[in-house]
Amino acid sequence: MATARAQPSPPFVSRELNGEVLLEELADLRNAQVQQRHLNDCVLNLRGLEGVRVSEAAARLKQLASNRFAGQPALASLLVRWAAKLKSEVEVPLLLGHLERLALTSALVTALRRGAERLPRGGRA
Amino acid sequence: MKHPVSEEAQEQLDRWSGKAQKLFTELLEDAGSDLQRELLQRAVAAAHTPGEVHAFADEIRGLSDLELYEACTLEDAAPEDYTVAQLLRAEADPLFAFELKGGTIDPNEDETRELAPPPEPKVKPSFELSAAQDALARGLSGKKKVGFEAESADASAKAMDWGALGSAPPPPSQSHASPTPTSGKLLEDLLAEATRGLSVAWREHDVDAPGAMSLSDALASAAGAVTRGIPVPCAIGPATGQHRRFILMMQASASGKTRAWQLYDPLSQELVWANEGDLLARAELPFANKVNRRLTRIVLPQSLKAAF
Repeated sequence: MATARAQPSPPFVSRELNGEVLLEELADLRNAQVQQRHLNDCVLNLRGLEGVRVSEAAARLKQLASNRFAGQPALASLLVRWAAKLKSEVEVPLLLGHLERLALTSALVTALRRGAERLPRGGRA
Repeated sequence: MKHPVSEEAQEQLDRWSGKAQKLFTELLEDAGSDLQRELLQRAVAAAHTPGEVHAFADEIRGLSDLELYEACTLEDAAPEDYTVAQLLRAEADPLFAFELKGGTIDPNEDETRELAPPPEPKVKPSFELSAAQDALARGLSGKKKVGFEAESADASAKAMDWGALGSAPPPPSQSHASPTPTSGKLLEDLLAEATRGLSVAWREHDVDAPGAMSLSDALASAAGAVTRGIPVPCAIGPATGQHRRFILMMQASASGKTRAWQLYDPLSQELVWANEGDLLARAELPFANKVNRRLTRIVLPQSLKAAF
């Protein structure tokens, strides 16, 4: 009998993973003045993790946090927290997708705020 | 020593402010090699802003010619998942190739605004400005936020920075002359700039306007994008062509035949779920402001790099 594939744990199946959770993380990063280029850098550094074992992915996340992003404690903390939540292989691509979406949403929100100046009443109508 | 500038680069430089042109001359003088100067010229010819070119020059100044060639050339390292368009553009645009290969630049936006020339209207407005409004517009030209808009072909259609007026008279009413472009691009240039490091390009579409994309088509396209992990920017307003706010379509959740959309308003910071049926009814959106009841414009992603 085939072994049932591991199901993602609750943090990764939450409907709000890429909604409320993502926006809260984004707010924390903004408050800590983490710049967009750091998020882009994070995404670029996480490429290639898809398909690797959980232990390796978690180790890579922690390594990034303690080395490349040691000067960005908010981002480093986020990576370490997520690394600790990884339980099965199926969660790795979900986490990568979440972090990619985080970087992209950050860039989009910045652009929309700037673009609002082009709307009547600065987009507050 | 004055370094020769190619015809294509000069064409772009002629659109820059005098200060930006002077700075570029200094960048050429400071460049460490002829190859650096050549790539800077190509970046200018590719219509990058003064701020971007300045940041690019700062990034490559310390590189040897061998490192620079490696950093700005795709040939040997191009993976199969780059599109043909990306490969062709990378050949002509070293800054694009630099970023495609993982390089990052950090343009000083304040500097870009300062160095970019004020946009000159290429198209006569469809309405007649009164003498007072004309004077007001001229007075604003020094304060007007241009940023990356200076590159835009439809810079003339951009809204005035009414917030800079202080105690000046309010803008003309919508019925007389709208400061908001209804056919010009509102977000494409800003989104391209903001997501350049992530290699996502965007195209803006009116929704429900005559000859434009229908709302159902727009939602179908947006569903494809959010499924791939790309939130979709939109404008909402009270009626077709009246863009009042920008929102993000964060994600979609399907259940049976119904689909719900999670929408985020960055200004009010409201995050809501809306049934697709309600969106298609064009009657009301679940934000506190009920005036803006329908999607009026959508900006869809066009090209995705391997990571997306």
